[in-house]
Amino acid sequence: MGIYWQVFTMELRRQMSYRLDFWMNSLFAFMAAMAVVYYLWSSIYAGLDGGEIAGYSLNGMITYYLLVILIGRLVRGSQQLMAIANDIYDGGLSRYQLYPTSYLGFKYAEHLGNLLPVALQIALLAVVAPFFLDLPPEYAITPATLGTALLVVGLANLLYFLLALPLQLVAFWADNVWSLAVMLHFVGGLLGGVMLPLDLFPQGLREILYFTPFVYLYYFPVQVLLGQLGWAEIARGVTVMAFWLVILGSVARLIWLRGSRLYSGVGI
Amino acid sequence: MIQVENLHKEFQVHRKAAGLKASLRSLFRRETVTKVAVDHVSFNVGEGEIVGLVGANGAGKTTIVKMLAGIIHPTSGHLRVLGHEPWARHNDFRRQIALIMGQKAQLWWDLPAADCFLLLREIYQVPKKEHGEMLDFLLDLLDVREELNIQIRRLSLGERMKMELIAALLHRPRVVFLDEPTIGLDLAAQRAIRDFILRYRQEMRPAMILTSHYMEDIERLCERIIIIRDGRFIFDGPLGEVVSRFAQHKIITASLSHGGRGLDWLEAAGGEVLSQTGSELRLRVARDEVADVAQRLLCDTGVHDLGVEEEDVAEVIEQMFAEKRGG
Repeated sequence: MGIYWQVFTMELRRQMSYRLDFWMNSLFAFMAAMAVVYYLWSSIYAGLDGGEIAGYSLNGMITYYLLVILIGRLVRGSQQLMAIANDIYDGGLSRYQLYPTSYLGFKYAEHLGNLLPVALQIALLAVVAPFFLDLPPEYAITPATLGTALLVVGLANLLYFLLALPLQLVAFWADNVWSLAVMLHFVGGLLGGVMLPLDLFPQGLREILYFTPFVYLYYFPVQVLLGQLGWAEIARGVTVMAFWLVILGSVARLIWLRGSRLYSGVGI
Repeated sequence: MIQVENLHKEFQVHRKAAGLKASLRSLFRRETVTKVAVDHVSFNVGEGEIVGLVGANGAGKTTIVKMLAGIIHPTSGHLRVLGHEPWARHNDFRRQIALIMGQKAQLWWDLPAADCFLLLREIYQVPKKEHGEMLDFLLDLLDVREELNIQIRRLSLGERMKMELIAALLHRPRVVFLDEPTIGLDLAAQRAIRDFILRYRQEMRPAMILTSHYMEDIERLCERIIIIRDGRFIFDGPLGEVVSRFAQHKIITASLSHGGRGLDWLEAAGGEVLSQTGSELRLRVARDEVADVAQRLLCDTGVHDLGVEEEDVAEVIEQMFAEKRGG
């Protein structure tokens, strides 16, 4: 375990050495996204004359987006997504092949180390946000929902890592897999409730989506946090997540075993 | 410590002609070519031995090293390093080897060397005390203690290479692969690294395989060399034997008092003038012509001294590489 802790803190130290860039980037990206959400939905709701959309008030809608954007960051981590594909592409994998440790364990620890500064930002925002936004009455964030949501976000983070992993490993065959990463980001965002709350989707489609992993990346953790789900629903969701974790993990393992035989360690 | 039998590696390479049209076509149909990188080679390396692997670019040196280190999978053949099959990448195996790549930075770019070494201590699970001792030993030997807390990317190439060496040797590997360790370095740094490798070998007695483009590295460090061409070994033996077996020429030096007049017959006799500075003439002469040429030179009254030497080993080996292109 010592190694992974070291990797985790090392990645953290590395992040900190570029702190200005880091804060500017994430702060601006966040503010831009929130501004778009605010103006877009304000004008949509203005035409409705105080009504609701799929059970959301304007305030509720904005709260939803705020949380989905923040939780999305925790789930996806920062730009590390294609680190493994890059290692395969440029031969950086070679050195990890030499180390007596698990490469994927190493990468996941790095990924988590990347996440901590994001978590700090979110904690900071959580302190500031209540001054700007009053939580609509239909939402109930309690210590219990917060604790459960943290666990679910942890699982969702692993789920996203394992969803991206098989795509990244395609790099053993194809030199460039950026398009797959973009696709995952887009499809995950659309079907996971980042672009629109899933409540706006037709009922039939929503029921199907609950069997896919995407819902559990963003929509599900937000609903857990907001106290919208009962324990039975949460348990069912976590079971589906566990199922996908096992499936994706096995698929990744299989692809790794076949693909790494093709690895040629370019660049040395 | 290293046993290799019939090792073979082929790569599938996509081939694409230049130009947009060819690029578009390659989206649908790609032509693959099988390229043999290493062609059924066998050799052994024992404890404390430094073996030089020499060959032109693309001869297959690095591919062999990568297979020995477990980075790439051999197509066929039998391979044992310290009793392990490298490709299985058993942790017990990986704890005992090191690979140093002169052309590829292995350390974490944004961190100071001290942090990298700390991480490596965790990776290799070296006890704190042992790690500290070894680090002190290596830092003094390479004289880079001052640079320990500077980000790797801010170091000069020579300093960085020294840090790479330290990083690779901190866990006292028993088998060390050095791939072009002195590439791009100035002469002083090259010498420092060579001396270091010799000292390290003296103390630790690892088996080492060294690839390099600099013949000087090979001459200084290796008693035994393997010359590789197109994936096949064309020589495996003591460095000294290369010259006696492969040199087709000898070098004759003559001191002249008449500036070389009347020596037009030399070329017809198979002599090639390498240089003529003042009264000193250097000739390359085919081995079986040496006696003849020397005799005729001695008969020339203008010649008052004559020497016959073996050809430089570097030149002999270079000629061996060049033969590939000829035939």
